[in-house]
Amino acid sequence: MRKKKNIFSKLPLNRYFDILMLIFLTAFPFFTKEFRVEMMGRYICYAIFAISLDLLWGYTGLLSLGHAVLFGMGGYMIGISYQIQNGVVPAFMQREGITEIPWFYLPLQNPIVASILGILIPALFAALIGYFVFTSKIKGVFFTIITLALAQIFKDFIINVQKYTNGFNGLQSIKRFSVNGSTPLTKTTYYYVVLVIAVLVFIFCLWLTNSRVGKICTSVRENEARLGFLGYNAGAFKILIYTISGALAGLSGVLYAPATSTITTEDIGVTASTMVVIWVAVGGRGNLTGAVFGALLINWAQSILSEHFSSAWQLIIGALLLVVIYFIPNGVIGQIVALQRRIITDRKKNKLMEETPKSKKMAVVK
Amino acid sequence: MGTFISQLINGLNQSSILLIATMGLVIIFGYMNVTNMAHGSMIMLGGVSAFILMEVLHLPFGIALIGCFIITGIIGMITEKLLIKRLYSKPTETILATYALSIILTELVRIKYPLSQNVHMPLPGAFHIGRVTIPYYNIFILVFSFAVLSLTLLFFRKTTFGKMLGSVTQNRTMTECLGIKTSTIDTLTFGYGAGLAGVSGCVLAPTTGVSYDMGSTYLTDTFMTNVVGGIQSFAGTAISSGIIGEGRTITAGFLNETWAKIIIFMIVIVLIRFRPEGLFTKERR
Repeated sequence: MRKKKNIFSKLPLNRYFDILMLIFLTAFPFFTKEFRVEMMGRYICYAIFAISLDLLWGYTGLLSLGHAVLFGMGGYMIGISYQIQNGVVPAFMQREGITEIPWFYLPLQNPIVASILGILIPALFAALIGYFVFTSKIKGVFFTIITLALAQIFKDFIINVQKYTNGFNGLQSIKRFSVNGSTPLTKTTYYYVVLVIAVLVFIFCLWLTNSRVGKICTSVRENEARLGFLGYNAGAFKILIYTISGALAGLSGVLYAPATSTITTEDIGVTASTMVVIWVAVGGRGNLTGAVFGALLINWAQSILSEHFSSAWQLIIGALLLVVIYFIPNGVIGQIVALQRRIITDRKKNKLMEETPKSKKMAVVK
Repeated sequence: MGTFISQLINGLNQSSILLIATMGLVIIFGYMNVTNMAHGSMIMLGGVSAFILMEVLHLPFGIALIGCFIITGIIGMITEKLLIKRLYSKPTETILATYALSIILTELVRIKYPLSQNVHMPLPGAFHIGRVTIPYYNIFILVFSFAVLSLTLLFFRKTTFGKMLGSVTQNRTMTECLGIKTSTIDTLTFGYGAGLAGVSGCVLAPTTGVSYDMGSTYLTDTFMTNVVGGIQSFAGTAISSGIIGEGRTITAGFLNETWAKIIIFMIVIVLIRFRPEGLFTKERR
């Protein structure tokens, strides 16, 4: 009995928070309208996206300002898949004079294959970029700049190859995973599918960050030079974590596009990449809970507030980011965890001070 | 052949614009080691002040140039005092804070001027060699950017302030021990860098017009130019802006603007993989 209590008191506060959020999200469809459920499903996709950035930024200390590129790759894969079902050439391709589906789109006809590719291609892309950036001696800051440039260029690219991607207008009528013409999932079922995948991703990340690889990634953040002295190849671990993060971002994109049934260039550019950074910064980085909480909180706030302040929303976001950096640098959840840790250590110290006889007190203080 | 030559001359124009836009970044990013994501917004602010000075207040171009330098310089100094001072040892937080600042500045300008504004050409006309046309203003930008480059070099090499700045970047503690106020130097240097960005915005304004989102494209371009040239090297930056500007214009002539950007981006990534110090920096150990 006593042992059990110990385990619970050791568990950080944010894990209780996770359980509370999970219970809330599971019960959510029972007491709201269907369109709210659809919205929440979208935000859970965003939460997976935020987790993928948290792995990269919170745990490994690599800030990416172009993470939406990987998200968009996943979304576009599944989006294209539903444009070319049953060998129909979509209208935007016919307008440009394409009468046959191009060969590189053929494997995407099957949505399952498209989803798998939507996870693999961002991962490979991340690995490639990671190889060039992380194996050189370049400063860490440059990764941020490269990813920012990437976000701008990728958006330009998608708009430019309008023949194949419908440019500015984006892709519409993406169905919720109807395979071979079967009826698509209902909104509520799809919500639970997304939720289950989100929980699996969360558990995977929890395992990953507590494993040896995760610990090494944390030490990349803390002191990369020393990690090198200990004989670890920091670059390889950075590439690995960027690849995993890319795969998860792609997965969130694959789930997101059917949830809204559209994907446009708005979802892949610099603005989208900034938003995910802000979710993680506000929620708190480096503890997974913060990413999920931040994504859900900011998006709800946006859906409620932007009705009143739609013109000034970006301004609010900028100011919010400044407030977080200067006043709560750990983010909301990070602050709570830090507070709890401090209380526990204080209590332990006090306990020891009370229990030990006077002569030993000095030793304890040391 | 004529088109190719005019491509080359356009490229030269692009390069001189890149050079003058990157100069402020060499100071702020290279010397002060502050990753200033608000650099693009500073350029944009320079453009907007040029618009206000020239089109609203009807001042001549020369005064607008100085005015832009002073306005953005002061904004830069305020930024340094309020935001960046507290973040010198935290690179990630600096990126975020300056990025947030750039969002705020962009939005404030967007609320005031939601549409792209035109600034009249201070040097109209062009001269013709055969089929090739060169506007006088392009020649002015080229000469002006090299003038600013040499002035900045002189300023850094010859004046007391420049030498103080050099010593601050080399050994901050020692400089402080010698009785130099390093925090004032930081503020003034940041102001100077921001002022240069403002001047480049002012020079750009007549060619491209002024809009609230002009900063974001220049932000990545200038960072890339700077890193390819070597972050602390003015001469390297001049050469790399030449390479990137010419490369992009010539590629754009064969394909189009977007593909030119993509190809140059890929080349830059591969280059920094093998020359992380920049192309024109001597290997230091």
